[in-house]
Amino acid sequence: MPLDYQVETRTLPNGLRVVVSPDHNVPTVAVNLWVAVGSRHEAVGRTGFAHLFEHLMFQGSRNVAEGEHFSRLQAAGARLNATTWFDRTNYFEVVPTGALDLALWMEADRHGFLLDAVNQGNLDNQRDVVKEEKRQRYDNRPYGNALPDIYAAVFPEGHPYYHSTIGSMDDLDAGSLEDVRSFFAAHYRPSNTVLTLCGDVSVEAGFDAAATYFGGLPTLDRPPVPPSAPLDPLTAPVRVERLEEVPSDRVYTAFRLPGDRTEDYLACELAMDLLAGMATSRLYRRVVRRERLADHVFRSAFGLAGGVSLGMLGADVAQGHSVAELESAVHEELRALAASPPTEEEMQVLRAGATRDVLQAFASTQERADFISQYTLLHDDPTYVNTHLEELLAVTPEQIRQAAARYLQPDNAATVVYRRTDSVKDEA
Amino acid sequence: MTSIERPQVRPPAPWSFPEPVDTTLRNGVPLSVFHRPGQHVASIQVVIPLPATVEPADREGLATIVSRTMDEGTRSHTADEFAGLLEGSGIALGASQTLLGLTVQLEVATGALRPALELALECLTEPAFPEEEVSRHVAQRLSDIEHELADPGSRAALEWIDAYYDPSARASRPVAGRTATVGAIGAADCRDFHAAHVTPDAARVVIAGDLDAAQVHTAVDATLGTWSSKGAAPATSGVLDLPRTRGDRVVFVHRPGSVQTQVQLGWAGPPRRVDGGWAPYPVLGYLVGGSPGARIDRVLREDKGYTYGFGAGFRPRGASGTFVAGGSVRGDVTAPAVELLWEVLDGIADGFTPEELRSGVDYVGMTAPGRYATADAVADEAAALALDGLQTGFVTDYLSDLRRLSADDLAQAWARWGSEPRTLVLVGDAEAHADAVRALGRGDLTVV
Repeated sequence: MPLDYQVETRTLPNGLRVVVSPDHNVPTVAVNLWVAVGSRHEAVGRTGFAHLFEHLMFQGSRNVAEGEHFSRLQAAGARLNATTWFDRTNYFEVVPTGALDLALWMEADRHGFLLDAVNQGNLDNQRDVVKEEKRQRYDNRPYGNALPDIYAAVFPEGHPYYHSTIGSMDDLDAGSLEDVRSFFAAHYRPSNTVLTLCGDVSVEAGFDAAATYFGGLPTLDRPPVPPSAPLDPLTAPVRVERLEEVPSDRVYTAFRLPGDRTEDYLACELAMDLLAGMATSRLYRRVVRRERLADHVFRSAFGLAGGVSLGMLGADVAQGHSVAELESAVHEELRALAASPPTEEEMQVLRAGATRDVLQAFASTQERADFISQYTLLHDDPTYVNTHLEELLAVTPEQIRQAAARYLQPDNAATVVYRRTDSVKDEA
Repeated sequence: MTSIERPQVRPPAPWSFPEPVDTTLRNGVPLSVFHRPGQHVASIQVVIPLPATVEPADREGLATIVSRTMDEGTRSHTADEFAGLLEGSGIALGASQTLLGLTVQLEVATGALRPALELALECLTEPAFPEEEVSRHVAQRLSDIEHELADPGSRAALEWIDAYYDPSARASRPVAGRTATVGAIGAADCRDFHAAHVTPDAARVVIAGDLDAAQVHTAVDATLGTWSSKGAAPATSGVLDLPRTRGDRVVFVHRPGSVQTQVQLGWAGPPRRVDGGWAPYPVLGYLVGGSPGARIDRVLREDKGYTYGFGAGFRPRGASGTFVAGGSVRGDVTAPAVELLWEVLDGIADGFTPEELRSGVDYVGMTAPGRYATADAVADEAAALALDGLQTGFVTDYLSDLRRLSADDLAQAWARWGSEPRTLVLVGDAEAHADAVRALGRGDLTVV
C-alpha cells in the first residue's frame, strides 16, 4: 500500500528545520529533535563524550531546574528520553496535546541555554551514572563488548565509527567542564538540528509553536562537519577471538555496507533478512533447523550517514558442534547468494515481511517522528517516510545478488568469535 | 527566549480505554474486536487460561515447549512449509506460556487477516509435534537456561523466585522449566499435553487494528469458530503461588569477577482485584521507582551515582502479586547501596507530598492515551487482563479512580504491603562484598 502521511517542512530564520506531520487519531504529539552530533564527532581522548553530554541535557538549563525536565514533563503526561548514536543525538517525548507548548519551551531552553546550568557536580554525577551504564550494558554481561569489538574490527583505527558511543572509562574520566562548553558551542545550534512534530497538531499550529519557542535561539553560522570519505568493503578478512565466560560460543560475521539512503543499502538489508532474519531464512533453515549447528541466528544492519554502514550476522553454536563448522556453513551460504539471486518465493517473503515491519514501526507516532527526523537531518529527505517502503519493495532479486557479491562475502568479512571458557559450563 | 513565560499545560479531555465490540463465536469463544483507526498492522491474540500447575512435575516447561512447537509442523504442512505460509503472507506468529496461561499472538497487515486466522487455527487444532522439531526446541531451551544463568539480571530473577516462594509453589521455579525437567520432554508429551489442555473451552480471542468489527467477526467465526472442544479438561491440582513464611532474607549469588552487583528486592503485593482498588499501585510504582526523579533513583542515581537506574513496581498476577525493585550498582558500593535502598523504602512510610501525589496521578492517568496508542499495545493489555479473568473496563475504572486518590490513600496502600517480609537477592562478587552486606543486619544472608 502506498503511504501518504502528510509531511510539511519549514526552516526558521535561525536555521532550525521544522517538520510537522499531523495525525489526529490519538490526543498526543510526538516531539522529536535530532542534533547532528554523535560519537563520530568526538575528539581523540574523549570517546563517549557525546553520550555523556546527552545526560547533562537532563540536568537543567537557564530556566529549568536540575531534574525538572523529566519530572515536569512526566507530571504533564509525557514519556521521554534521549539516545546517542554514531551520527546523531536524539531527544524525544510523546506528550498530551495540551502539554505541547511546555515540551517545546523546555526543549528550546536546553537546546539554547544549557550552559547556564551546567556545573562540576552535575558533570561528576552523570559521569558516574554513565560509567554504571557502561558496566551494566557492556562490561558485566556475556557478549557485552561484542559490538565495540565488531566496530574496531570492521572500521580502521581512527575512523569515526571505529569506537563505540559508550566510549572508554579513561576518556569518560578525562571529560571536563571546558569540554562541555566547547562541545555545546561546536555542535548545538538551530542550523544543526531538526525538530519534528508528529501527532495531534495542525501544520500551522505546529510551525507557529516551533517559531514561538525556538525562534529566539541565536543564529550561529558554523560550517557543518564534512562527511567522512566513503569506505569500500574490507579487502581481506579480519578476525578477532575472545575467550570469555560466555554460555555459548558465538560467531559474528560483520561487514562494511554502503551508506544509508542508497539502493545498495536497501539491497543489503534485504540480503541480511534473507540470510538470517526470519524462520524461512537460508541460515535459519540450514544451520538451525536442518543441520542444528546453531541454537539461534540473528542479524542487524545499522544504516549510517558517513559513507559506510555496518551489517552483521550472528549465531550461537549448538552443543556438540564447532565454531569452524558453523563458519563454514555461513560462508557457503554467503557465496551461494552471490552466485544466484533469491527465488520469487523468497522475494514474496521479503516483501511481505518488510511491509509488516514498516507499517508496524510507523504505527507509533514516536517512531514515525524519529524516522522523519533521521532522514531530514542526515539525508535532507523528510518524505522518505512515504517512499521508504516503495523503494524496499522495488529492490530486485538481481540487486540483492549483486549487493551480496560486493558487500557480504567471506573475503570482506570481519569475524568476531566469543568462545566459552570451561568455568561457566562447570558452574551451570 | 528568556522573555517567554513557561507555558501552562491544558488538561486533556477525559480518556477511557478503547471499547471493544464483543461477540461470541459459534463454538462459544468470546471475541473482542478493538477498532483502532490508522493502525494498519492488526494484532491477534488467542488467550488460553492454563495454570502452569497442569504440567507433570517431572516435565515442567512442557507448556512452553508446546507453545513453541505448535507451529513447527501440522498434519497438513511440514514445519518449513508452515513457516513459508506464515512469512509469505507477512504474518509474525509467536506463542508463549506464563504461570497463568498460554497465548498465541499474530501480527499481520490488516489486509491479510484471513490467512493469519486460518494458520492460527491450523496450529491450534492440528499440530504434529514432529520428533526432530520438539527435540530441537528442547535443545534450544536447554541452551537458553545457560544464558539465563550467565546474565546477572535474569540470574537475579531466577534466584529471587526461588528465595521468595515456597518450594511447593510452581511460581518458585521458572515457567519454561529447568534443565532436568526440560531435558525429559519428548514429542509424545507435547501431543498428550496439547490434546488435554489446548482447547477452546476457556479461550478468548482479542483483535485490534484498523478493522471493521462485523467483517472480523465473520472471518474469525469461520476459522477459530470451528475449533471444537474435546470435553472437560482434566482437573488440575498443585500450588501456583505461595510465599515462604519467614522474616527478611538475603541471598548473595557469587559471580566471580563481577564489576557490578545486580540487586533484586521484593515482597508480597496486591492482586488487581485488591480491596480499595488498583489505582494507588501504579502511582506508587512510578513514585518509588519509575523515573530518575523517583524516590530510589533520586538517591542512588542522581545523588550518589551508584547506578544507571533502578526500576520498581507492583506486579499483580491472578490472586496475588509482588512488589519488586531492581537494578545494578557498582560492585564496591554494594553494601552502602543496599543500605540506602532499604532506607529509601522504609522512608516511604512517612508518606508522600501533595506534589508527589499530583505528579504520580497525572503521569499514570495522562500517559494512558499514548501508552495504548498502537494496536499491539491495546491487544497486549486486553490479553493480559483476559488471563486474569478481567475485561479492559478495568483500565478505564482505575484511571477514573485516580482522580479521587488522596495522599492518605497512597500511604495506606503502601502501609498495607510495605511491611511484608523482604527477600533480597544480590548477584555479584560475594567474596568481596558479602561480609559487608551481612554486617548491615538486613536478614539472614546465604551465599550460593
